Amino acid sequence: MAQHQRSSQWRVWHRWLSLIFGVQMVIWTISGAYMVFFQLDFIHGDHLVQDTSAAVPADTQVAPLDQLLERYPHTQTVALETRWLNNQLTAVYELDGHQGQTIVSAETLAPITLEEHHIRELANRYYALEAPTIDSVVYLTENPPTELNPALLPIWQVNYDDFGNTSLYLSETTGDMLVKRHTFWRGFDIMWMTHIMDYSDRVDIETWWLKVFIIGTFILMITGAVLLVYTISFKKKKPGGAQ
Amino acid sequence: MMRFMQWLHRWVSLILIVQVVLWLSSGLFFAFTGHHGMSGHQYMEHQHPPMLVDAAPQVGIETVHSEYPDAKTIQLSSVMGIGQYVVTLNDSTVYINANTGTAWETDADLAREIALSSYNGPGEVEQVTPVTGSEEIVGWDDAGFRIDMADDLNTRIYVEAASGQVVDHRNTPWTIADWAFRLHFMDYSGERSFNHLLIWSAGLFALWFSLSGLILLGRNVAQGDFNPRRKATMLEHLQKTGQPVASSCGGGGTCGLCKVTLHGEQLPQPSAAEKAMLSPAELNAGLRLSCQHRVNDKVEIELPNENVATVELQLASKRQLTPSIVELTFSSEQAIDYEAGQFLQFLIPHQEEVLTRHYSVATKADPHKLVFTVRQMPSPSEGVPPGVGSTYLCNLSVGDRIEAIGPFGDFVLTEASPRTQLFIGGGAGIAPLRALLQTEQDTSQPRPCVFFYGARHTSELCYRDEFEQHSGIAYTPVLSEPETSDAWQGATGFVHETVATWLASQDVTAIDVYVCGPPPMLKATMTMLAEAGVPRDRIRFDDFGI
Repeated sequence: MAQHQRSSQWRVWHRWLSLIFGVQMVIWTISGAYMVFFQLDFIHGDHLVQDTSAAVPADTQVAPLDQLLERYPHTQTVALETRWLNNQLTAVYELDGHQGQTIVSAETLAPITLEEHHIRELANRYYALEAPTIDSVVYLTENPPTELNPALLPIWQVNYDDFGNTSLYLSETTGDMLVKRHTFWRGFDIMWMTHIMDYSDRVDIETWWLKVFIIGTFILMITGAVLLVYTISFKKKKPGGAQ
Repeated sequence: MMRFMQWLHRWVSLILIVQVVLWLSSGLFFAFTGHHGMSGHQYMEHQHPPMLVDAAPQVGIETVHSEYPDAKTIQLSSVMGIGQYVVTLNDSTVYINANTGTAWETDADLAREIALSSYNGPGEVEQVTPVTGSEEIVGWDDAGFRIDMADDLNTRIYVEAASGQVVDHRNTPWTIADWAFRLHFMDYSGERSFNHLLIWSAGLFALWFSLSGLILLGRNVAQGDFNPRRKATMLEHLQKTGQPVASSCGGGGTCGLCKVTLHGEQLPQPSAAEKAMLSPAELNAGLRLSCQHRVNDKVEIELPNENVATVELQLASKRQLTPSIVELTFSSEQAIDYEAGQFLQFLIPHQEEVLTRHYSVATKADPHKLVFTVRQMPSPSEGVPPGVGSTYLCNLSVGDRIEAIGPFGDFVLTEASPRTQLFIGGGAGIAPLRALLQTEQDTSQPRPCVFFYGARHTSELCYRDEFEQHSGIAYTPVLSEPETSDAWQGATGFVHETVATWLASQDVTAIDVYVCGPPPMLKATMTMLAEAGVPRDRIRFDDFGI
């Protein structure tokens, strides 16, 4: 008789554990499946943007390095690049140093300040899908959306009216596109959040409750495996007879 | 629907269980290690490049530009205090020493310095090895150096020769984490990709598995299984009160052993499990599976046999009937009330567990003496031990005791009828048939008995003399593989074929049929009887599970 009582006990445990941990297991498989089925490049939004770098226009008189360093002595890195400004491919120096990142004219070395219309123009250059339609442009200085790292503030947010509700985030000082987001990335972010069970910052994979749920699911799985042995391997006898 | 869910849940779990273990273990590893512990960057130092003014590059950016007018970007930074240009062209990248204007060069000494500047651990440089790419760094296959540090984490620093950049740090925790990623992502190439066919399939299986579990859980909630004050199922009630009821699956509605008969004005509706396990006739007669219904004041439970009890048997004698079948005779001090054709459930101690095995009594009912025929099960395949139950029973010595529960089963003689009694048996299925035949022959006016028994050769014909000598039984042994030494004159072939021939000359509505034997024989016989037109309710069978 002992054996029969035992398999009932395992079943009771399996049910109770599944009530607590099984539900998280459903969440793990759904979020896992989402993350697995959508290609990571697509989630990253690589299809939404294109490379806008181009050779410096031939007629540009590039200011010499000595002058540049004389005027901006706190520079650690400098790059000669181009930006589309006012419908013109313009050569710029992008400087990185203690003053932060800035762009200056590669000819006059004068600082370039980016206005909203510049940001719109740059964003549309980065945008790779057809017929860009900007829904809104927002200059964010505080309270960033959860999809944006707060360290990147202040930043320009350019929202597109398209299938994936694309948002491009451009640096206010250099016009570089720093972040791209769309619906499927946002979905991925929620799935990631539920997968690692960090519901606030979505980065901490070391919470005690995550460990508890993993161990609990282990136990749930063991009870399930025992039931599997009982239900699949034991030969049963169905006493026959008249019907 | 629910049975399909149970089936799905069970078989998918069987396929998936290994990967679930891997997912859980690697997940637990991640949770205990954290991002930083897996990065390989424990001893990585944040770089603070010097001011370009201090690096004093000799070659101006305007000079490089005139040399590479098509460059998309020309970047000037410094490596170990030396200016370096990175020129990005359409299809390549060029690194130039800003002091000499020539291609950047990294030798072993410089690589060592670069590596050290990125390192803040306790170790010294152990060795510097020129390498071309590394298995540890996916996507990097350029020339460079591997700088091994003598530290507790076994740190390796990779430096690219062309650019003089630190490619990455690696160490032992990183290697362990990398394996955890391989297991978690099922990507054994080391690329840590989780978008590939293998994990798609696993993900799909896991989804089916967890969702079917969720649906089953929903059913349990709806049934009130989680209500602490809920009433026990009839099965739980019977088990708790120590009443003998068989069950293998523990209340899952899948083994069909916990059959009971219910009496009352309003019987519970049969569940899907019951519809699958019980016939409509049984359901109409009030038969239900006791695990499927809760205890209820208005319904009375009748056990299949109220005489069922746990009994202690003592082995009185044993003898070899055929090369593979042993006859065991047990005595019981306690009187056991059973009918011919019924079986007992033996409790076989095996390692930590108690296994149950069913054996039918092989003689007419005798309350104190029970005879069983046990077929010694050979190994089903190499590496699998021979039948645990039969081996245990056959190895009992005279005088040994064993517990059994019973009697169970409804493979018993029909009520009084004038019909011919047809018995069809094979192998160890002889036991209940012999019991039935003996009982019938014992009555004051035995009905005509016809017995067909199938075996491979003469040595397997157990109780042959007994049946041949009995005038009341028309005994026809049928051999499927007679040996020349048998000098066999009788019927050959499969037993059901011989029966079919016999049936052709009989009135199939004037017989009662009893069938017991190994599953293939049973199946073939049932099909044959159906084709011959024997009414189903005139057939009783015992699927002696061997």
